[in-house]
Amino acid sequence: MMANYAMAFDYKLCINCHACEVACKEENGIDLGAKNHRLWIDEDGETEGDFWNLARDKITFIQMQCQECQDAPCLKACPNGAIYIDDNGIVRLYKEKCDLTLACMKACPYDARYIDEKNAITDKCIFCADTRLARGETTTACQITCPAKLRYFGDLDDEESEISKILRERKHFTLKPELGTKPKLFYLE
Amino acid sequence: MKKIETSRRRFLQGSVALCVYATSSFSFTSKQNSSITTIENIPYLCNMCRNKCAGFARVQNNTITKLNPNKYFPKSRNMLCPKGNAGIQAIYDKDRLKYPLIRIGNRGDGRYKRVTWDEAYEYIKDKLVTIIDEEKDNRSTIAYCNGEGFNKDEYIKFFGSKLGSANFLDEGSICLNTKLGATQLTIGDIGEMDVAGSDYLIISGANRYESLITPDSIDMIHSKQKLVVLDPRCTVTALKADEYLPLNPGTDLAFCLSMIYIAIKEKLYNETYVKEYFKDFDKLQKHILKNNYTASWAESKTHIPAKKIEQISREFFGAKNPLYYLGRRSVWAQNDFQLRRAMVLINALAGSVNRKGGIIFGKPFVLKQEQINEAFYNNSQGRFDLDGIVYGSQKGGSWLNFREKVLTKKAPYPVRAMFIRKHNIMQNMPNIAKTKEMLNGMDLVVVLDTMPSDTAMMADVILPECTYLEREDMVVSFNRLEPSLALRNKVVEPLYESRSMQDILHGLGRKLSKPLFAVSAKYDEDLQESIEELGAKNAFKEGGYDFTELYQNSIEQRNKKLIVSQFGLDVYTSLKTKGVWHPYIGKQKELYNDYYEYYPKEKRFYTVDRKYRVNCYLGKLEKSGFDPMPTWHSHYDFKLSEDSFRLITGRYITSTQTATTNNIMLKEFQEKNHLWINDRVAKKLDIKEGDTLVINSPIESVVIQAYPTNKIAPQVLWFAHGFGTESEELTNAYGKGASDNMIIEDKFEKIYGCATMHETNVTIRKL
Repeated sequence: MMANYAMAFDYKLCINCHACEVACKEENGIDLGAKNHRLWIDEDGETEGDFWNLARDKITFIQMQCQECQDAPCLKACPNGAIYIDDNGIVRLYKEKCDLTLACMKACPYDARYIDEKNAITDKCIFCADTRLARGETTTACQITCPAKLRYFGDLDDEESEISKILRERKHFTLKPELGTKPKLFYLE
Repeated sequence: MKKIETSRRRFLQGSVALCVYATSSFSFTSKQNSSITTIENIPYLCNMCRNKCAGFARVQNNTITKLNPNKYFPKSRNMLCPKGNAGIQAIYDKDRLKYPLIRIGNRGDGRYKRVTWDEAYEYIKDKLVTIIDEEKDNRSTIAYCNGEGFNKDEYIKFFGSKLGSANFLDEGSICLNTKLGATQLTIGDIGEMDVAGSDYLIISGANRYESLITPDSIDMIHSKQKLVVLDPRCTVTALKADEYLPLNPGTDLAFCLSMIYIAIKEKLYNETYVKEYFKDFDKLQKHILKNNYTASWAESKTHIPAKKIEQISREFFGAKNPLYYLGRRSVWAQNDFQLRRAMVLINALAGSVNRKGGIIFGKPFVLKQEQINEAFYNNSQGRFDLDGIVYGSQKGGSWLNFREKVLTKKAPYPVRAMFIRKHNIMQNMPNIAKTKEMLNGMDLVVVLDTMPSDTAMMADVILPECTYLEREDMVVSFNRLEPSLALRNKVVEPLYESRSMQDILHGLGRKLSKPLFAVSAKYDEDLQESIEELGAKNAFKEGGYDFTELYQNSIEQRNKKLIVSQFGLDVYTSLKTKGVWHPYIGKQKELYNDYYEYYPKEKRFYTVDRKYRVNCYLGKLEKSGFDPMPTWHSHYDFKLSEDSFRLITGRYITSTQTATTNNIMLKEFQEKNHLWINDRVAKKLDIKEGDTLVINSPIESVVIQAYPTNKIAPQVLWFAHGFGTESEELTNAYGKGASDNMIIEDKFEKIYGCATMHETNVTIRKL
């Protein structure tokens, strides 16, 4: 089965509860340690002013992970040709070809990769491709556990999918569009 | 700059750091063989906090590899929070209590020897027989306590109905009893708040986005109501609010009184409702107007601008379905009971009772109770912890009053033994030194728990209980608006030598019943008569002295019998396969993105046929010398000497009191707590982020690192509860952060005997 998987975030609903981060680590067997993770919430901005007149509107919680670039800088940067896009439109890694040159990490404008020391590879979000999707499930660990249900995961090539519909209905943006990486992660306004 | 207390990973453009290798999370190792194992998804109920959300545990090779949310449960709305997800690390925590242990060192030094279950029971039996004999069969010399959880009632049946002690204590008096009591005494029921149905929501202090309550927190995210938050600390709940009203700590009552004043003065209240349901409205009106609780008066107390108070009041009473959230957390100050009552009255004045978006009565499923034969002991004396308390909970009592009376020997009889289950009393109540002293005075301390907590380290005997994923519990009825039944199924067999509470009590009961019966036969004249009449064997049986009566059948058998007889086989099957049953379970409608509608709107129990009154005036309080109506007193004013601070406490989203700080996954998010201090004050005192500070309270001092922020009021300090564990057996939590209850003074209010957690003033100095 082929699909063109993507994710859209109703990002303003996030309460930064970390459920997605824990669910991801448990599902995908990510090493313990705060620095090892496929996804995280970026606490962008700070409260401003003094306590009695606090400006709160500068703080946003932004869901961060691999942006699934259609023109992926990591793929082009890898000297070993270890990075490819799979049949479901997910940026993947031939684990045996990775020898930790870290070129992909340096090339990624979204800081999406970390070093998986256990497997001696660079790792990142792959939409639970080798766990949940491989078992035939249709949700990612982060999407299904989210209290806000703010993560829409699905197939962009299926016009009837919820993500296709919501992207037709609502304004959205991608991160760092000026770089021309064509991310498949969308943030809903 | 690296920031503590915020996201652990900032947007590190381009930078790469090699990380120290840590052990992998458990799911990975078992995932290796996933291709050759079958996968089972077993429904269970979470126990990482008080909520009891529903999930499915994925089991492979007899190992839990993942916990996922359960879409069928109306209460938890198809989600699992970070703690729920990290439950997998609770069952596989290497520090778990694994075997029965008997103390060989001094209390608190952590030296124990491994024993068999029989040896542990034998030890307890010998001690209990001696103690009860010496106390001439006064069973109340054995106190017992249990924190929040499913099996509390069965635990009470064992130690109360069977063993015969009157001294049961639970978390209510260090939690929310004032709120429950205030609601019960004002509208005749504790009710349930319909957050989802409200279009205007005011929250005082409760931090619903960092201390999740289901379904309230989830409903707040998914509802479009206006949210107003009052808090002396800008929490995530406050960050997400439409209006945030920063205020002085402990002055919420002044805000509430002013809202009532404005409602009365401007006739904003629901006149039809007040006419039909209010009792003594004239007294309330006179009292509020006479005291002149105007908005500008409230401004002088709260620091909230008068215009803002007027605006919020008018908006609230003008809304269609406004709700003043009654809170759900620890009691703050002496006025807490009347603060909660003022909130109930505000809802009632708006007509927000027994209707959509208000405090609803609803229609919960009432489960039949299994009958047991209760034993009666003539020489067993009553409880004493409610002496001097106006109402108090007859069930869970008053912890601080109990402890004080035991310590100062003002109790009418000595309390010589204590059974402690799922209740970390060495960390959960103010003034830890006193709890330690109380336990040191006991002849026998037995702890039933899953983890070697600070309290377990004070035990003579430790009985290892299994975790919530290793046992079936009795079926439970949930909620009133969208009622459902839910069942905690056993996911895997208990690890090590741990046992379920029922199995532990069954074993203990077999050991204790007859020897303790013999003690009673020595002192109890009624029992002596009964033995003479019926013979010892029948007197034992008919008198209910067999402690194992409840455990003749397994939990599985008892659940099946109970559920099938009351609801039928289909409901039982649903509970075993889906973990949940509600009448619309087959017809749930997906609203969007795996978020469901459970009961159709027209089938929810927003309004039920019920006779009740709204009691403005409580005469019993006046007779006892307390305010019969919510009233402000000058000593409630927030006034401190210049160099001191009011200490307040709370939680992080990733921790539930002390129970989760040893969790290796959750530790990644908040390894220790930090002291929130106002940024301008910190600057003046030359305190920088990460500086080590000593906090001195009138009873003790603790050391903690500073987190200067503009998100807290100038004369207020905050740090999270749950840290500062002293048990070295909790290897992840030990030595991390500071314990709030080390320095919080042990004051309690006299209406419900609840510990007041926000009345301690402290000073700080740099180390």
